[in-house]
Amino acid sequence: MKKHSGKRRLAKFGTLLIVLTCVLSLAACGSKVKENTVLSADDVAGKTVGVQLGTTGDTFVSDLETDGSNTKVERFNKGADAVQALKQGKIDCVIIDEQPALKFAGSNSDLKVLDEEYADEEYAIAFAKGNSLRMEIDGALEELKSDGTLDKILSNYVGEEIGQHPYVSENNGSKGTLTMATNAYFPPYEYYDNGKVTGIDADIAQAFCDKLGYKLVIEDMEFDSIITAVSTGKVDFGMAGMSVTEERKQNVDFSVSYAQSKQSILVRDPEAAAAASSFSAKFKADFLDDARYNYILKGLVNTLIITVFAALIGIVIGFVTAMIRSAYAYTGKPKFLNLLATLYITIIRGTPTMVQLLIMYYVIFASVNASKILVAVLAFGLNSGAYVSEIFRSGIMSIDKGQTEAARSLGLPYGKTMRFVILPQAFKNVLPALANEAIVLLKETSISGYIGLNDMTRGGDIIRSITYDAMFPLFGVALIYLVLVVVLSGLVSKLERRLRANERK
Amino acid sequence: MSVSNEVLLTVTGLEKSFGENKVLKGITTEVKKGEVISIIGPSGCGKSTFLRCLNRLEEATEGEIKFRDYTVTDKSVNINEVREKVGMVFQHFDLFPNMTVKQNIMLAPVQLKLMSVEEADKRANELLTRVGLLDKADSYPAMLSGGQQQRIAIARCMAMNPEIILFDEPTSALDPEMVGEVLHIIEELAEEGMTMLIVTHEMGFARQVSTRCMFFNEGVIEEENAPEEFFGNPKSNRLKDFLSKVL
Repeated sequence: MKKHSGKRRLAKFGTLLIVLTCVLSLAACGSKVKENTVLSADDVAGKTVGVQLGTTGDTFVSDLETDGSNTKVERFNKGADAVQALKQGKIDCVIIDEQPALKFAGSNSDLKVLDEEYADEEYAIAFAKGNSLRMEIDGALEELKSDGTLDKILSNYVGEEIGQHPYVSENNGSKGTLTMATNAYFPPYEYYDNGKVTGIDADIAQAFCDKLGYKLVIEDMEFDSIITAVSTGKVDFGMAGMSVTEERKQNVDFSVSYAQSKQSILVRDPEAAAAASSFSAKFKADFLDDARYNYILKGLVNTLIITVFAALIGIVIGFVTAMIRSAYAYTGKPKFLNLLATLYITIIRGTPTMVQLLIMYYVIFASVNASKILVAVLAFGLNSGAYVSEIFRSGIMSIDKGQTEAARSLGLPYGKTMRFVILPQAFKNVLPALANEAIVLLKETSISGYIGLNDMTRGGDIIRSITYDAMFPLFGVALIYLVLVVVLSGLVSKLERRLRANERK
Repeated sequence: MSVSNEVLLTVTGLEKSFGENKVLKGITTEVKKGEVISIIGPSGCGKSTFLRCLNRLEEATEGEIKFRDYTVTDKSVNINEVREKVGMVFQHFDLFPNMTVKQNIMLAPVQLKLMSVEEADKRANELLTRVGLLDKADSYPAMLSGGQQQRIAIARCMAMNPEIILFDEPTSALDPEMVGEVLHIIEELAEEGMTMLIVTHEMGFARQVSTRCMFFNEGVIEEENAPEEFFGNPKSNRLKDFLSKVL
């Protein structure tokens, strides 16, 4: 029996390896990328255009979408994702701010920026409406402009003297902490370097915080979440290469402009030799350079923490609500709690987990400064509780009515009947379903990135945004999830066997 | 094997409906200490429902049931106290599969604090010896035959030292060769003077063991009598008809 299952496991693993090899070789073949068809700004109409969701580029091309020119717009959460799609020929061009465009072209030899430019725009810092912090920072920005600090910071990232004028912070922040929301996939304004969010915006923010005596904390989140985070007061200000637009002005106040930019068109470069770097070079860049594997490892720790604690909360909530609902089904009491439990289960099962997570972060915890891990643990725990509740309840219902009657006929009250007779049997029956729920939960935590939490999936995403290689980071992350799930199911089937064994004496 | 004059159970005008379907249509009777009452009748006549009303596994729709000073049909009565004294043995044994035989027997007396663990253990050994299954004390129910399981179920019921035992078709789910071993134990209980109500299809057994037989038909007690009269000289046509079919 044991030998047999071992063989089967081996066979499963073998199949998996074959599939993996096939996918890898397919990816390696690198099917010919489509030729560039966007040679000037006039060519954009009628093409498939990539933008970052909620950026000025997005606003700009949205007009093309409806003017009958048959232009298709694909909106990405990150600029880097749009660039990747461009490289793979899925879209024809990317419209993005000038500096990031140059940076992307600089690090991808098969891309180039068209000389023509779209509209000029100004970057500014977003504040919650009426926040007096804006005046304070406006003053500091003006000073930084006039004493040349701003130009110096810019020149460290753009132009001939890159890396020659690093900004050095000399303040310890006696007046408290300021939290800045950004989206660190927008080089050179903000991006990850050695696990830290750096870039022009980060340096400027550090500079005015130094000037004003604040300590700076940077929170990385989705670009389209920044305005919400600012207006709900979750963060003190938003700074992410953000242009001033009318729509945004309705929700937030803007500082004076601290940089100018234009929208540029990024396309594939037909001249460039397909920069096919070798597998091992890609692997090295993805995981080994700058110890980038740490993005995934740190994420893994967060993923595990969230999963374990959410599972515990889920089991407690699930157990309690299942007991309430079963008691109600059997005795007609407690009415009110049963109503509450039913309502809870209906709502949780009736709405997507991701929406629940966003509501937990942006609505329920909007004005409370709670750690993101805690928010995620609560959101996933509440979510899992509803499913666990139904699992427990079905387990209780699956036990023959005769068991309850036999126990009750001996004079045992309802509670003791549950505890000694029904629950031990029910638990054994639902173990596989519980394990399945744990597996679902583990994988579901991969949406934690939407509240800017660095879980394992996001760790892979960060690497992807640095190296522009999709395969290794995604496969690496997938493989770790797979291993976790296989180990988890292995443990559960062991426990199951042990529970069953003692009935066969 | 003597019937005393002490009344344990009084049933007055008992009615029970499941939705539109009226299963019991007015049952009135009393049970004295030491009586062994066999309840027979065609299927669907309300025999089992009657039995299950007595320990309130079914709520009566109308009428009153009294066990000693307890009014079983009164919702405010502590039904668990009644059930401690009115035991029940089921058609499908319903042993707890997650416990050993001995744990099955000891659970209720220990959990209800009627006995210490040592006392319950001693009592379990006595009862197991009595039903001839002491060697199965540490087995799980799944490993026992139907006849063995039912004998354990009787022992489990006996562990509470009940004053009455209700048997709900105790041999109906058994293979024919196992019926004897279960009936034999019930017979022994009868000889010791245990008060019992037995829903059964075993006519020979009913005739031999009972002090009184009841014939249920369409929700009423059609006829009741001492076994000799009941089987030897049935009055109602329905009972005559029924007996002619089953004997």
